[in-house]
Amino acid sequence: MSDSPQTQPQSQTRTKTTGSDQPLETTSGETVEETRDEWTEYNFDGEAKMVAEDLDVYYGDDHALKSVSMEIPEQSVTALIGPSGCGKSTYLRCLNRMNDRINAANVDGSVQLDGNEIYQDGINLVELRKRVGMVFQSPNPFPKSIRDNIAYGPRKHGDINTGLLARLLGRDDSEAERELVERALKQAALWDEVHDRMDDNALGLSGGQQQRLCIARCLSVDPEVILMDEPASALDPIATAKIEDLIHDLAEEYTVVIVTHNMQQAARISDQTAVFLTGGKLVEYDDTDRIFENPQSQRVEDYISGKFG
Amino acid sequence: MPRDEFQQSLANLRAEVLSMGDLVGDRLDRALTALETIDEAAAQDVIEGDDAVDRRYLELEATCIQLFAQQQPVAGDLRFVTASFKILTDLERVADLAVNLAQYTLEADRKRFEQVDLSAIGDLACEMLDDAMTAYRTDDAALCRTVAARDDELDSLCQHASERVVRDLIEREVADGDGWAVEQLLDDVSRLLLIVRDLERVGDHAVNVAARTLYMIESDPELV
Repeated sequence: MSDSPQTQPQSQTRTKTTGSDQPLETTSGETVEETRDEWTEYNFDGEAKMVAEDLDVYYGDDHALKSVSMEIPEQSVTALIGPSGCGKSTYLRCLNRMNDRINAANVDGSVQLDGNEIYQDGINLVELRKRVGMVFQSPNPFPKSIRDNIAYGPRKHGDINTGLLARLLGRDDSEAERELVERALKQAALWDEVHDRMDDNALGLSGGQQQRLCIARCLSVDPEVILMDEPASALDPIATAKIEDLIHDLAEEYTVVIVTHNMQQAARISDQTAVFLTGGKLVEYDDTDRIFENPQSQRVEDYISGKFG
Repeated sequence: MPRDEFQQSLANLRAEVLSMGDLVGDRLDRALTALETIDEAAAQDVIEGDDAVDRRYLELEATCIQLFAQQQPVAGDLRFVTASFKILTDLERVADLAVNLAQYTLEADRKRFEQVDLSAIGDLACEMLDDAMTAYRTDDAALCRTVAARDDELDSLCQHASERVVRDLIEREVADGDGWAVEQLLDDVSRLLLIVRDLERVGDHAVNVAARTLYMIESDPELV
């Protein structure tokens, strides 16, 4: 096993969470004894795009995320899996401070983007969420035209210099905007299906098309990280396959982090997988093939093979 | 425990693979006994029984494919089904080698090389296969390594046997002009060398079973 990630001499130790000296706790507070070696760290080649250190999240009295430290490699797909209520979506939302929008949420710890702390005072949240975009479970296009959906962000951010007169006249047909909209729709593999009806209402698209539109909308502001919270769970297998192909292609340019309940999907599309289990703990984080072939933690094995509970 | 039906399918698969192991072990044993006693009826029985082994193999292969397709096993379950899938192939090949041994028996109505202890080689090969299947049944990683280590012993026995046959061939005086005797001798020599080679292959398949079993238990590809 000399080629295992744990022992690669060229890799740096980047992440550390639960060690064997730290027994796991369930939500009821009882201690769970591990029956075999517990996972301790994940080493990977390449650079980390985002780094979370000792991240705790409380929703009121509920300790939803417990001391999670985790590094996300750039230009790759990182899957977050675990049962409902395990904290994976909470963790995802910490990465672009979406939890700030929940009044009862209290975040403690550090999250860095390219080495810069995002939980420092004075950070520009609009700019942060432009760099770290998000796609949600249910497609949520604006009730506007396909073109307006994509151009909305760039116009807001001032990335498109639509002339004042044109704007007053309600025209958004500048060359720059046309190029940007076309590029985003092509990146999201939707252009061929909608290019001849750009002024149609986006709500008239199918569910799968709407979700790709939302991905295109996210891409239109040129993000660096794309967070996806179960982006294909509401879609049929064909639409799901298109989204999965898209995620694979996006990882060549962007850093993708995806929460999914579908373990086969995590196995298919991700480079590394983080398993969160009940109690808000990151229990194991490793290359996806290792997680699904030989996980270190018995609890992770029981969870991914459907024996949990 | 959730996925009870899937867990039951895995337990059934293990029982079926073990049952195939018993079937193949029994056929090998009978082929070796037939060879030893030149029992043509028993040899014929081994040859005719191979179709049943092949059918069993294809059924269990289909079971594994069905588990992959419908249950998408992961982690320990994945390693178990993958290992079983590969082990079935090795067992089927051992059954084919038993058929070879039975065919040599049918041809063995002439002089044999009594100084070559085929039964010792056959017993060791059978033991290795038996131990490998025991390791599979009991998740015994140490026994897997023992099986692999014994392969050197088997190879050594096979090499000595082959050398003995060749040496005997060189030293043997054949009456001038007795063409029939030469033909008979060459037949016997080549048949014996084939028997030795096939028994050595049984050992190789036993090591394969042990290697896949070790991967199944510890995710360790050391022996593969």
